[in-house]
Amino acid sequence: MSAPQTAPDTAALRSTRFRAEREPGWRRLESILERAERQGMRALSFEEARDLARLYREAVSALSVAREISLDAALRDYLEALCARACLAVYAPQETLSGLAGRFLRGVPPAMRRSAPHLGLVLLVTFLGALVGWLLYFQDANWYYTLVPSGGGDPRGPDSPVGQLREVLEGEHDGPLDGLAAFASFLFSHNARIAIFCFSLGALAGVPTLLLCLYNGLSLGAFVALHADRGLGAEVAGWLSIHGVTEIGAILVAAAAGLRLGEAVLFPGPFTRGDALRRQGRDAVKLALLAAMMLVVAALLEGFGRQLITDMHTRLAIGWGIGALWAGWFLLGGRGGRA
Amino acid sequence: MSAARRPARRPARGRGPRLLRDFVPPEGVPIRLEVAGLGARLAAQVIDIVVTLLVLVAVMLILFLGLEAPESLLLGVGAALFFFIRAPYYIVTELFWNGQTLGKRMTGIRVIATDGRGLDAHAVAARNLMKEMEIFAPGTAMLAVRDMDAIGYLALGTWIAVLLAVPLFNREHQRIGDLIAGTCVVVQPPLRLLPDIAAAATVSAATQPEEAAEFAFLPHHLGHYGDYELQTLERLLRAQTARGEKAAAARAAQVQAVAERIRSRIEYAGRVEPERAEDFLRAFYAAQRAELERGRLFGRVRADRHSPRPGAGA
Repeated sequence: MSAPQTAPDTAALRSTRFRAEREPGWRRLESILERAERQGMRALSFEEARDLARLYREAVSALSVAREISLDAALRDYLEALCARACLAVYAPQETLSGLAGRFLRGVPPAMRRSAPHLGLVLLVTFLGALVGWLLYFQDANWYYTLVPSGGGDPRGPDSPVGQLREVLEGEHDGPLDGLAAFASFLFSHNARIAIFCFSLGALAGVPTLLLCLYNGLSLGAFVALHADRGLGAEVAGWLSIHGVTEIGAILVAAAAGLRLGEAVLFPGPFTRGDALRRQGRDAVKLALLAAMMLVVAALLEGFGRQLITDMHTRLAIGWGIGALWAGWFLLGGRGGRA
Repeated sequence: MSAARRPARRPARGRGPRLLRDFVPPEGVPIRLEVAGLGARLAAQVIDIVVTLLVLVAVMLILFLGLEAPESLLLGVGAALFFFIRAPYYIVTELFWNGQTLGKRMTGIRVIATDGRGLDAHAVAARNLMKEMEIFAPGTAMLAVRDMDAIGYLALGTWIAVLLAVPLFNREHQRIGDLIAGTCVVVQPPLRLLPDIAAAATVSAATQPEEAAEFAFLPHHLGHYGDYELQTLERLLRAQTARGEKAAAARAAQVQAVAERIRSRIEYAGRVEPERAEDFLRAFYAAQRAELERGRLFGRVRADRHSPRPGAGA
């Protein structure tokens, strides 16, 4: 062995000197981290914030040197932990609630515009479903029972007399608890569940999403056909419009979001499927949140608006007016500034 | 001693911790992080559910105390309120506490972005929205399992099986929400800087020169072991805090046995009294580490005692 031997007892090890020189810096970084993690970055003074960034970079550089020159496992483990904690503190999310809401609201319309093809597809499928449902009803009214889910205690069906149908459409409920109950039951009603499934099952290649849209269209078509058959076409249009424009819109938006996830799985393009999911997820999550928001608005309309306003023309005006507001926002919003 | 066995190259032997691969912060130095176990994540989730349920109960009590409301209304409003409490709870806590909810704080785990950058609002929102589909929707469905037909059972079973399979069968234990958001749950690494054994050994040698003279190692003594054996010895020397007389005696016996084995293997000629075994090992550790680290500076890395001797061919 040709390496010259220097006895370890005369000079400290190189890695020991390395550690002794830097240890005060690490200790200070540790104490700053403690405060940052416990009280948040805002609690740091100017000097501390400045030192945090500087000491973090020093520690990272020390880690990469220590991996090369030091065989002290305890030191390496400590530096790994210190760098990990400091990195997460330095690159912590810097969000405020208002900034978050603002960015979401500015980001939604462009995301909607980018999803226009998907939206068109789900709209087409739903429309086809509605058409088939309508035709099926007029072929044989019993299809109604197959196509329209029988909600608990909903008396409407092909056997119901016209008067009963009209009563449900125009019925007035009063009392704040009734409105609240309708609001709550709506949120967990059939349609809200369809919206949730449309989105979350989209990752399974989008097939369940499209099937759900078709099915939703079928029941809608049969439902309208039943009322049109009894000469209540205009009334059911008003009854549906007041919340339905927003509600069916929400289902379509959720389905479009699901389709974008499905697209990532089916056609990842030049990316891996995971990366493609992540990229499509950026817009899909915005759309899902938007759908949730629209469902809440629809629930408010259903819970209160529909009970308080019974005039057909007002119902139509409110329903489509709000629909036009949504459309205007999606088409025009978020054009200025960064998307 | 495990040094007698052929050492594994990877630490992931048996029940070793799962390490997150490819976590590279913008500084370009990869950092090692340990993936959180499923047990810790489950515990954190349970704590979070309990916390949100408590809030829900409190709000419901305030809203409906003294009001006579039908049960269906209570259930409906409760379900809606629960959603409006828990969804912001997860998103806001993970965003403002840097990847930790209350439950995650208590179990010492946190969410990080796998690409090495900071968590952003999108990632947090995505992983927690998918949580609705992954945890709460099947959970609610299971509550209603009684009035379900065969197809319903089958669908629910498949759904839950897929949901469980995803985190069980990927290396980073990511659930579907984590995959879409590009996040991962890791253990919050503890900050503990242990004293340097070699520094302590050299300091004591400097203050008490006669001890240093007692254990002096020559180059041929230091050519037998590699990094793996050195770090195994480090673990033995650090495991000092043995409580109780029995444990202390067992450790002393172990130290003596190791010292004797090393002494005979490196053919150290001097005597090692049983009560000096610990000092012998410390001195040997310092000398061996100095030798191996010097070798590293010249590019001669010796991973363990089976790798070829550095400089043997030179």
